[in-house]
Amino acid sequence: MVSVNRTATAFGIGLREHARNYVLVALLVVLPVSFITLAFAVTQDVQMPVRTVVDGETTTVMRGMPEVHGVIMTPITSSFIAGLAGLFLMREARDTDGRLAVVGYRARQVIAARFGVLAVITLVVVAVSVGVMLIDFQPEQLWWFIAAMLVLSVTYGLIGMLVGAAFNRLAGLWIMLILPMIDIGLFQDPLFVQSEPEWWMKLFPGYHPVRVMVDTGLTTDLDTAASLGWGAGYLLVVGLLAVWVYYRGTRTT
Amino acid sequence: MNRFVVGVRANLQTFVRTPLNVVLALVLPLVVIEGWGQAMAGLPSMPTVEGIPLDLGRLLGAIFGVAIITGLMGLVQMISAREADRRLVQTGYAPRTLLATRLATLAGVTIVVAGVNFGVLWLTIDVEAPLFVFAFLALAGVVYAFLGALVGAVLPRLFEGSLVVVFLAMMDVFLSGDSPLAADVPDFVQYFPLYHPKELLQSAAFDGTFAAGDLAFVGGYLLVLLVLVTAVFGATMRTAGGWSA
Repeated sequence: MVSVNRTATAFGIGLREHARNYVLVALLVVLPVSFITLAFAVTQDVQMPVRTVVDGETTTVMRGMPEVHGVIMTPITSSFIAGLAGLFLMREARDTDGRLAVVGYRARQVIAARFGVLAVITLVVVAVSVGVMLIDFQPEQLWWFIAAMLVLSVTYGLIGMLVGAAFNRLAGLWIMLILPMIDIGLFQDPLFVQSEPEWWMKLFPGYHPVRVMVDTGLTTDLDTAASLGWGAGYLLVVGLLAVWVYYRGTRTT
Repeated sequence: MNRFVVGVRANLQTFVRTPLNVVLALVLPLVVIEGWGQAMAGLPSMPTVEGIPLDLGRLLGAIFGVAIITGLMGLVQMISAREADRRLVQTGYAPRTLLATRLATLAGVTIVVAGVNFGVLWLTIDVEAPLFVFAFLALAGVVYAFLGALVGAVLPRLFEGSLVVVFLAMMDVFLSGDSPLAADVPDFVQYFPLYHPKELLQSAAFDGTFAAGDLAFVGGYLLVLLVLVTAVFGATMRTAGGWSA
């Protein structure tokens, strides 16, 4: 009971710290709204070939470019923000979590609280991003699409934490900007990759979730359930790594 | 003058003594330029959608790479040194001298970053006017470095500042970058930081010329940024008449 109370207290404080930062809250809403809205507003409304899975077969279908663009811009937005949130949560944690350990907090309590804050920020960002997207584009299978968005965004949030643990602030920022950009925006974008992706492109965190989003966003049947499973597996591995790194960091602070 | 030199040297040493930053500043341009070029070249040509040649994709990758590396550098430089700067002001450093050391350091590192990006471009595409290409890459970098410094002077924390710089750069490169995906691009896009540097770079790389109007616009843009960042920095470094944060 004490353990749960302590975790809830640390979680509540962490959440309030971010919620009372009005500039941050405003940015978490304004940036996705403006970026996604702008992306839809200026994208040409023409039919483009898109490579996806239909009835178990990889095939090329024609879809409107705004829809395809929406399928990419929405997860890229939430992944950027979740990644930066993870990065800065980890950097801030270095200063404060050691003190919590000194006053008697166990590492798992601190970890649960921090990961809870990251989860809430990610949920908010995913909700705002999907909400804005729905104004211009409704995925064919909304809930599967959202599930893939969550998997991808949480994965990037945890990658941000790992990067925050391993790199300094400037290097971390560079990496957390360029990684989602080249992963989701270039290597997984079905407009740019019209043939079978290279093997190394499949190693990026975005490969499986974006495959699901293209499938569930643009076609009426779910053909990529296995990819969602692979994406969740990727998330699990990154999550375990993040917990381990955080645990070590908290114990040695 | 002596204080200025000491400040610039200290700032440069801070950057150089973090080898990871130096390595990333050298490696990331290669990743961005080749990644951008290869991916963009995969876009199929359709009746109203022009495909992007590999070389143009690389050029756009280079300008985005320079902008984002220097923009975040400007942001981090201003925010991470805020407390130290305030103390230096209290010990007698003039805020303008301090700011000058920061901006001079940023400009210096930006030239190196532009040089690396130019080197990658030089190896991968044929450019008509190499010196201009290098100069315009550096110019784009300085614009974003000063923009990052301005955001860093206005916003107190890195999380918020990085969100602003990152999304501004993404919108900028999407709208200013002649994306074949975009149509009905609003007129105000010409006021985006990369619009005119991109025009200059593209002309210099593929035609060997540039429009003086674009260059004048970038010069004016830099001047406005300089005035703004000086005003904001001066206001945040004010120490007399109250408690200092």
